[in-house]
Amino acid sequence: MASTLQPQHDTQGGVYTFSSRPRPVPNRAKYRNTAEPLNEEEGSHGNIMYDRRVVRGNTYAQHILPVTSQPDPMEFLRQQEARRRAMSKKRLKEQFGPKTPEPLEGRTNIDVQTEMYLEELSDRIEEVSVECQTDMFLDKPATPLFIPDKTGRDAATQIEEGELFDFDVEVQPVLQVLVGKTIEQALLEVMEEEELDNLRARYQAFMEIRNAELVEVQRLEERERRLHVERENRIKQQKAVLEKEKETADKIAARAFAQQYLTDLLPSVYSNLKESGYFYDSVKRGKLTGM
Amino acid sequence: MARPQTSQQPQTHLTQAPVAFGNWALPKLCSELQDDELVSRQRALTALCDLIHDPERAYEAILNGCMERLKFLLKDDDGLCRVKTTEALYILASHSLGRDAIFRNDIMGPLADLLDDPVDACRRNVHQALNRMAEYPSGAVFMVSMGLVPRLVLKVPIEAEIIRALILSTLSSCIMINAQPALESDAIPVLRGQLSHQFSDIRRSATSALVGISVPSNGKVKVCEEDLLPLMVKLLSDNDQGVVANAAGTVMNTAVITRGKHEALKAGAIDPLLRLVASDNRAVCANALRALTVLAEVPSARAQLLGHVSLLKTRLQHPDSTIQRAASSAIEVISWKP
Repeated sequence: MASTLQPQHDTQGGVYTFSSRPRPVPNRAKYRNTAEPLNEEEGSHGNIMYDRRVVRGNTYAQHILPVTSQPDPMEFLRQQEARRRAMSKKRLKEQFGPKTPEPLEGRTNIDVQTEMYLEELSDRIEEVSVECQTDMFLDKPATPLFIPDKTGRDAATQIEEGELFDFDVEVQPVLQVLVGKTIEQALLEVMEEEELDNLRARYQAFMEIRNAELVEVQRLEERERRLHVERENRIKQQKAVLEKEKETADKIAARAFAQQYLTDLLPSVYSNLKESGYFYDSVKRGKLTGM
Repeated sequence: MARPQTSQQPQTHLTQAPVAFGNWALPKLCSELQDDELVSRQRALTALCDLIHDPERAYEAILNGCMERLKFLLKDDDGLCRVKTTEALYILASHSLGRDAIFRNDIMGPLADLLDDPVDACRRNVHQALNRMAEYPSGAVFMVSMGLVPRLVLKVPIEAEIIRALILSTLSSCIMINAQPALESDAIPVLRGQLSHQFSDIRRSATSALVGISVPSNGKVKVCEEDLLPLMVKLLSDNDQGVVANAAGTVMNTAVITRGKHEALKAGAIDPLLRLVASDNRAVCANALRALTVLAEVPSARAQLLGHVSLLKTRLQHPDSTIQRAASSAIEVISWKP
């Protein structure tokens, strides 16, 4: 096996040193006749798990080869000590322990049970044969749901009624706001209406007085107008009467005058005509002209 | 579970926008009013309607310029938006600053356009707003000048009861300012139709409108023409004191002209009126006394009433000065000898 690196042997002043670069442990060839693989990297080292030279298992109780071939004096001393102690213990035990006397000739000692109840001792172990037969194969029952074991401590809590939400307490602020706003608004409106009602009442009172006074004024006006008209009528009537009277008087005077004028008229007319010769006796005239 | 974060606390205002605290409430609401999303506009409007009942909040809202937004929202497409906008306007009209703001921003025009709105609640709110505006003289003057009276007269027969009562009271307020537009738009037949309604509110408002109509002279003539006096005499025995007072008022107004006197006497007004003189209600008593005063100018009535002077004399001790004066003038007229 050619290694990649040659060990170096160096001898300087009689001290031998050896150093080589670290390299993996070469594997033993499995068969004698196997030619060395050319690929040194793979074949030159093997799996240490399958190497027989590697110590396996517990190392506590291994017989470790002493580093040197000579026994350790300390170790040797310790072993001697232990041997001596064992011997002494054994001797003590022999001296003071109860011993059965030696049997007589031709007799042997035999062990006897001295307990209350005798026990049969034999090599043969009592056995009882027990049979067991499984039931007919049943269907495998359904596997129960795997519920892992509970770990940890359990703690429970219960919420009683009224603990999370108490209606009476919660509704109060809402109610307050609602009722407050409604009442405020209602107060406003009622005050406004009251004011208006007062105004209207006073207005009504005023209107009543006004109407009454108005009609009084109108009545008096009307009365005045009537009286005035009446007066006018009377005056007109009176004037008419006077007018009529005057007319009548004029008519009478005119008639009297005319009568008087006319009485003289007729005789004077006749006398004038007679004088002018318009009235003549036609026979007389005829006689006068005919002659 | 009370939580410190306000966003996680139980929501008590899902239909309203959350109102910020203190001074920031109204500016934020006003800016939410012009939000693009419909839901936030509705919620902001609902919250605004609730807040505005307080006069200080109403003042703040007007200062923050919510009137233009409301005017713009009146023409919104969504019905609920319009309902809530008109409701906000109607609440604002009860504060004097609100009324001023409504005039200054010319909101009456768009509001009156909503008289024909399809949503009932919207129309009801519009009429309530108009009613409140008309209760104040400046508002009534404006409404008359805007030409709203003929439209309202047209609406009376077709609307439902609640709205009808509102329209009639608006009309009576307007008529008290100026009765001519109502007379011109033939209000009397319409009012006559409402006189026999079962709701006393409607009857009361109709009769008060008639009182207003019979103040000017052509109104008196028209009342006589339409033969309303027998109806009035019948209403003198109504259950509701308001109706009775107004009916007596109409009689007293109409009887100022001669024709009215004759018609009233023909309808037999004197006996019910005599019964009403003893009433406790001040309006009823005063109106009855004045009606008797007016009717007593007719000689026949005077003769009839001479027997009841003692009853009128009891009224002279009434603590109220108007009734005292009315009683004394009645006695004076009755005992007048030509």
